[in-house]
Amino acid sequence: MIGGFTKRLGRELNDLKNNPAVGISVFQANDFRIWLIDIKVMDDNPIYAGKTFRLQFRFASSYPIEAPEVQFVASYGIEIPVHPHIYSNGHICLDVLGSGWSPVQTVASVAMSIQSMLAGNDRNERPPDDARYVAHAPISPKNTRFVYHDDTV
Amino acid sequence: MKVTIDKWIGVSTWHWNHAQDEVCGICRVAFDGTCPTCKYPGDDCPLIIGECKHAFHMHCLLKWLTTESSKGLCPMCRRRFKTATE
Repeated sequence: MIGGFTKRLGRELNDLKNNPAVGISVFQANDFRIWLIDIKVMDDNPIYAGKTFRLQFRFASSYPIEAPEVQFVASYGIEIPVHPHIYSNGHICLDVLGSGWSPVQTVASVAMSIQSMLAGNDRNERPPDDARYVAHAPISPKNTRFVYHDDTV
Repeated sequence: MKVTIDKWIGVSTWHWNHAQDEVCGICRVAFDGTCPTCKYPGDDCPLIIGECKHAFHMHCLLKWLTTESSKGLCPMCRRRFKTATE
């Protein structure tokens, strides 16, 4: 990784393993390119109760100057959470992953933002343009220019 | 008793005079250490402090501020970053 920020990812990984936030755990982090982080919603929101979801973080050499690429991934027994800002292909419309990114954000802080985005949601539905978006979505959610139009959910 | 000093070696320590957060929020290395690209701490890898009082390794902050996506904002408080003059 150019720029030498691997050290920072190493520290982040140690922190995630040694002082994990409630409901956030490392599923896989074998290198400094792709990590899989499992999250649970800790309150008893009926939409997500008892479920574990898996986030994939992809880091470029420019991390943390540039945002990581973050999306939900499905796996055996693991679904993409239903939420008005989460598309069924796992892409997430959240400003901190795009124009709201700042290099003081961390994997943990992003995971917590997403966790609280789920916790605060009471609409068991996909974005209204889900079918259209998923049919034409770029592979990387970072290539989508999301419009952050609704801060209420 | 009379003592004659043949030789003495001075040793000193230093510390950036900035009490807030001890690590740079961008690289997560201590202020008294270096940014990821520097080898020697101190004047070669100085701190930069904004009017908003947030401090970073200067080299780390410049990497951020030279990106378009930074929009010139402080990574901590997202106010326009202006170097404190004092």
